[in-house]
Amino acid sequence: MAVMPMQRIGIYALKNRRKQILELLQRRGVVEIHAGKADPSVFRQTDTAPAKARFENNTNTLQAALEALDKLEPEQKSLFAALEGRTPIALTRYEETVRSVSETLKTASHINVLWKKCADNRAEILRLETQIRMLEPWMKLDISMRTIGTASTSVFIGSFPEEYTEEALKAKIAEGAPDVDGVVVEVLSTGAQQTCAFILCHAAAGLKLETFLRSIGFTYPAEPSKRPPRERVQHLQSRIEKLQAEIEAAEAEIRTYKALRGALQYTIDYFAMRIEKYDVLGQLWQSAHVFVITGYIPAESAPALEAELTKGYDAYVELEAPDDTEDTPVLLKNNGFAAPVEGVLESYSMPGKKEIDPSTIMAVFYYFLFGMMLSDAGYGLLMVLGCGFALAKFKNMEPGLKKSLKMFLYCGISTVFWGVMFGSFFGDAVTVIAKTFFGADVTIPALWFVPVDEPMRLLLFSFLIGIIHIFAGLGVQFYQLARVGQWKDAVFDVVSWYLLVGGGIVYLLSMQMFADMVSLPFLLPAAVGSAGAIAAGIGALLIILTAGRDSKSPVKRLLKGLYGLYGVSSYLSDILSYSRLLALGLATGVIASVFNQMGAMLGNGPVGVIVFLFAFIVGHTLNLGINVLGAYVHTNRLQFVEFFGKFFEGGRRKFAPFTAKTKYFKITEEK
Amino acid sequence: MENFDINSLGIALALLGAALAALMAGIGSAIGVGMTGQAAAGVVTENPSMFGKVLILLLLPGTQGIYGLLIAFLTLANIGILGGSGDVSFAQGLLYLAACLPMAFVGLVSAKQQAKAAVASISLVAKRPDQFGKAMIIPAMVETYAVLALLISLLAVANIGSIAI
Repeated sequence: MAVMPMQRIGIYALKNRRKQILELLQRRGVVEIHAGKADPSVFRQTDTAPAKARFENNTNTLQAALEALDKLEPEQKSLFAALEGRTPIALTRYEETVRSVSETLKTASHINVLWKKCADNRAEILRLETQIRMLEPWMKLDISMRTIGTASTSVFIGSFPEEYTEEALKAKIAEGAPDVDGVVVEVLSTGAQQTCAFILCHAAAGLKLETFLRSIGFTYPAEPSKRPPRERVQHLQSRIEKLQAEIEAAEAEIRTYKALRGALQYTIDYFAMRIEKYDVLGQLWQSAHVFVITGYIPAESAPALEAELTKGYDAYVELEAPDDTEDTPVLLKNNGFAAPVEGVLESYSMPGKKEIDPSTIMAVFYYFLFGMMLSDAGYGLLMVLGCGFALAKFKNMEPGLKKSLKMFLYCGISTVFWGVMFGSFFGDAVTVIAKTFFGADVTIPALWFVPVDEPMRLLLFSFLIGIIHIFAGLGVQFYQLARVGQWKDAVFDVVSWYLLVGGGIVYLLSMQMFADMVSLPFLLPAAVGSAGAIAAGIGALLIILTAGRDSKSPVKRLLKGLYGLYGVSSYLSDILSYSRLLALGLATGVIASVFNQMGAMLGNGPVGVIVFLFAFIVGHTLNLGINVLGAYVHTNRLQFVEFFGKFFEGGRRKFAPFTAKTKYFKITEEK
Repeated sequence: MENFDINSLGIALALLGAALAALMAGIGSAIGVGMTGQAAAGVVTENPSMFGKVLILLLLPGTQGIYGLLIAFLTLANIGILGGSGDVSFAQGLLYLAACLPMAFVGLVSAKQQAKAAVASISLVAKRPDQFGKAMIIPAMVETYAVLALLISLLAVANIGSIAI
């Protein structure tokens, strides 16, 4: 349960061992590289940016090829693929991949070329289809669309922006151009706001007719085809077919590379590792024959690595404790009970300097509070079974996911506990089922009490939990201050609040008025109440006198002290904030009951059973989802705001060792 | 209208309260989740792997609607609309109505305001996925007030039945 002690490590070795040492460090994954300072007249850093850019380029090529392959031949994935984690692979594959990298890259480029051809062809097909659509109104025409006439005739092929029948068009022409005779009109097609027509007249009258036609909106087609439209369409269609065949051929060829998927993925990982390595390489200080690696290593991993490096790689390793001013990274180590909440802690912040790792104490409260908010044995059981199954079945799961599932497993156990205490199993499912379908009157008795019947009791209990939680936070602050010898601060900042808040609560519990208000089952004797009041008074005085101790001027100190006392309002709101334990706990139970009752509305009988099952499954799934979300968010809030507010600021960064950040495979040790 | 019994209005007022709680908190959540949904969809277009994280933020303003439903249901159960006697006096009806109001109003407003905070948090997570914990706490701060309103409505509705008026 602690923040792991870190050591600064310096590795000095000959350049001809550089590659091997870097690869070893990457596989061990215990050193965070941090380039220190070095004498620039002897040591230089290499610029690895161009090499990294090249690797990234290769990665992109491979990624694109993989995507194309995935689209055509989707990978067979099970429903739980996300839980399975990366496939472990032996180190020996590394050398194999190195040998075939250029070949795999060539294949990937080829796949990309083919895939691009498919895309281009699809775009071309779309263009051709548009052309065909534009020709559709002219299909009746059996001559070239560009015909303008013969020696003795004038021909007009074009469209009008209106709907005409052949007769109407003829009549219109006869009316508008009466001196042109012998006009032949053939309407090719009519559509909304468009009439395509073929019009023929004697060449002598051509000009006159054209003038009139233009006056009623005649236009020539935008892209007249040279050949008759039908022929043209046939030609276009044959081109589409050809393009389609090309696409199919290219796709079929891509499909043949199905077996190469693994190689592609592995090569992507290979480049990811190299990018990582070159990143480190760029940070190294190198002279003509020697190179230096500096960084941080957890103290417990240091001896093993040191031995390995000095014996196997002729390196000199220097280990020293980092001083206080350094920005050392943080690595947490906890037992199986507390480790799962590390992720939650991390999402807030890693512990700062002088701060302890609060995972263990946080874990206790986390599971407890989560269970109280969800508080249904049925839901808890589902969580336990679901998480337990996943954890047992998928041993190879990624560590982050494993931690989350473990956290929800523990939360589920706590939920079952509270469900039993409050007598809730899928809400009042047992009662409703027994009553509706068996005519029996069964209730699961609550081991403690039923919150809906006695909300006030649960509210008081919630406040009690809140006070314990907040006091535990203050206790951690006391420990943190005392640990570094700041006893005075510990007394002024923690003990004073214990006295004030604790004394105040004791005093409140001895007041008849308060006891009546919240229907308290007991009343503290007046003497205890007075003692509480005195303690609170001492606490308040202590705060007034010491909260402003950093200021020199006595007036300022007093004012700051009074302002410090005002902080009591934040304690009040912090404690009231725990009323959400009641609100969310009741919400789960009551909504579950709503769904049960909705299901039971049709009473007994086959239809009733089906409706009940439907309402039960859908309703409880929904309720479980929403309330797990609510419990998760609000437990986090109570931890982050009310609890951490008392002692935890955080601020350091997480230990980020130099390791192989691969996407598809996990490289296992050769041993 | 000579023998009009004013107590017959009791249950109507109580039902009005229940309806308001479900109605207004529901409207608030619908607006809120609509807002966060748009923001979430935008983030997922850019980065589909963010869906899990964004979903949690997306759903945060949805809880007010659930709280409203809870109060409405509890009221319905207590006044006997879901079976039982519909024996609610005029004064009790008014009390139920008043008891439902905190959840109704705070639900409506807090859901909308929480949605604004959640939208901001969604863009925070889009830019810095590692800051998810903090991004989640910011909208949860607004929710506190919905929880407090729920608490007051809940305590009031649960206890009105025991007052003999």
